[in-house]
Amino acid sequence: MTKLSKVAALAAFLSAGVSAGALHAQTAEVLHWWTSGSEQAALAEVRKVFEASGGEWVDTPIAGGGNARAAAVNRMLGGDPAAVFQFSIGQQLRELADQGLLANVDKVASEENWDQKLPPLIVKAAKYDGDYIAAPINIHGENWMFYNKAALEKAGVDVPKSWDDFVVAAQKLKDAGIIPIGLGGQPWQERIMFNSVLLGVAGREFYAKLYSTLDDDLLDSDTMRKVFETFAALKPFVDEGSPGRNWNEATSMVIKGDAAFQFMGDWAKGEIIAAGIEPGTTVGCAFAPAIDTAYIMTVDAFAFSAMDGEEATPAQAKMAHVMLEPDVQIAFNKKKGSIPARMDVPADSFDSCAQTAIRTLQDEKTHLVSTGLFGVPSAVSGAIDDSISNFWNSTDMSPAEGQAQFHQAISNAK
Amino acid sequence: MPDPAQDVLHYSATPQDAHQKGRRRWRPQWTARMALIPAMAITIFCFYGFIIWTFVISLTRSRLLPVYKFTGFDQYGRLFANERWWTAMQNLAIHGFLFIGGCIVFGYLLAILIDRGVKAEGLFRTVFMLPLSMSFIVTGVIWQWVMNPGLGLQEAVRALGWAGFEFNWIVRPDRSIYTLAIAGIWQQVGLCMALFLAGLRNIDPNIWKAARVDGIPVWRVYLHIITPMMRTVFFTVFILMSAIVMKAFDLVVALTGGGPGFSSDLPARFVVDHILNRQELGLGAAGAFVLLCTVIAVIAPYIYFELQKERSGRGH
Repeated sequence: MTKLSKVAALAAFLSAGVSAGALHAQTAEVLHWWTSGSEQAALAEVRKVFEASGGEWVDTPIAGGGNARAAAVNRMLGGDPAAVFQFSIGQQLRELADQGLLANVDKVASEENWDQKLPPLIVKAAKYDGDYIAAPINIHGENWMFYNKAALEKAGVDVPKSWDDFVVAAQKLKDAGIIPIGLGGQPWQERIMFNSVLLGVAGREFYAKLYSTLDDDLLDSDTMRKVFETFAALKPFVDEGSPGRNWNEATSMVIKGDAAFQFMGDWAKGEIIAAGIEPGTTVGCAFAPAIDTAYIMTVDAFAFSAMDGEEATPAQAKMAHVMLEPDVQIAFNKKKGSIPARMDVPADSFDSCAQTAIRTLQDEKTHLVSTGLFGVPSAVSGAIDDSISNFWNSTDMSPAEGQAQFHQAISNAK
Repeated sequence: MPDPAQDVLHYSATPQDAHQKGRRRWRPQWTARMALIPAMAITIFCFYGFIIWTFVISLTRSRLLPVYKFTGFDQYGRLFANERWWTAMQNLAIHGFLFIGGCIVFGYLLAILIDRGVKAEGLFRTVFMLPLSMSFIVTGVIWQWVMNPGLGLQEAVRALGWAGFEFNWIVRPDRSIYTLAIAGIWQQVGLCMALFLAGLRNIDPNIWKAARVDGIPVWRVYLHIITPMMRTVFFTVFILMSAIVMKAFDLVVALTGGGPGFSSDLPARFVVDHILNRQELGLGAAGAFVLLCTVIAVIAPYIYFELQKERSGRGH
């Protein structure tokens, strides 16, 4: 924020405090980590509608998800909370609610019937003690596979439907001199690829049961071993410069044709659109190879600090209402690359990949969520990331050893 | 031990002052002590007080927020069962040894070479000290590009013709920790060189003359005479570099991001990652406290030993 806008914001707050009532009620400070081009553009759509309906939006962007979350928590503890803040739904948010630091938007939610409009798993994750503590604004899918069509044609392979097919196709691509998988070697990206393999090899019921219960028998099962074997088989198909690479650099490898496939969430679609390519033309999208159809959802959501008491202030209620409005959902998600959190929004104006996703989600059986949303505490999901990354990068670990270490890490972190 | 108060009175007292009875003189050292009280209070409260608070938190099961439900030494049990922690501690030992050793050896050699008299000494000094002006983040990013197999040194040498040249330590889990030492030494060697140079310049030139008269070879003079005389400089450099090693966080983040997997992780990064990103306040606090104990266990004896030597006057 420039100095002038800081002064302006301060003046707004001060004058809002002095003039009682109406003006104060409509000012909302929004703390978030959407600092890249497409993200800012998407959020601007929400801001437009919020300000048009009489609200005042004070923007507090902080680069980096971890930094922004830490800042939001610190401010809450320090007594100067941001009215609306972006957060990940999950154990951390529950802990804040436990301490009485959050306001709930249940009134808006019941008026607008969010229970019916949002996918049930997300409804469950966004509630604490029966009240909505977060407003989910979109749904990102994590089990996407983006591919460069020209590269596949050059090697003479089709889009693989199963992981065995994938390994065969990858070998052909490697022989043709194309890097089969463009991977950014960071733990969270390796985890996304691992979860796609897990879903693809073990199926959606196994995935759901594994991450919701973390059951020892499932972790030690042969199915799990097969997952690790398939995952290990992908190691030769990644280039040497992969460790440490950022996700958008890997996406640009696929866009340019240096790499053939990328396993990433559909925020990569934002990158592709920003490169001027219509998804489905030069760069195609498909679900990662799997034995049944599912969509691993992850959600961007905004939570609300308790300003005075646990009821949402009028400004917070307005924000929750605006974020879930159908028009705002469409405008926001088209720029962001995700699909609306509401399932009753018309899909015609979205690109082909988004339409596939929206269509898939009509069937409730396909609903799966990313680890954090199952209520897995971030310590455990962090330990999962660590052990997946360790297995992926080690040169001498066998799949059985990887599986054992995975189990061990989870038990330790629980 | 002579009483400083008496000295002050001796030098600045006037006959009139000495005769003022019933009124205590305001001694100058009381002003000095009063000026130090804020600094002392801050140190005691912020430094030692928070160390104690960290220890208290490490005995709880705190996740995102401090929660004072005590669970004994559970967190330490979890810490010592954590493979990433052991890797980090191991890496600390490796990195510490290589970084401090490398800085001292290279810094000393550079200082000796400069001290022997080079033309344009100012130029050399500036060149070696320039990396110090960069933050560890910038150093990490630069070296990450240089050591990247597809973009940096390996690619450049291969383009020159040596097709089999390999320098991909940064992407190998077993070698990534050494890359930290390379980047770190490159950045800090200038500081060590400057300190050693100052120490060398303080050596009495008569020593050199005497050594020449005795016909002692130059390397012997350095090894057996000059180096022991530089004991305090070695000590200073060691303490400074150890502080940098213990805090090494931004270098890891910028250079390897923890390395392939967590092979180049360091304890400071482990602690910060767990407190801020993993919402494991208790575990991070336990890690921080264990790190503190390790530092005390390693550094304190050396400090004590050195200070004893100075007091007994055998150092100089």
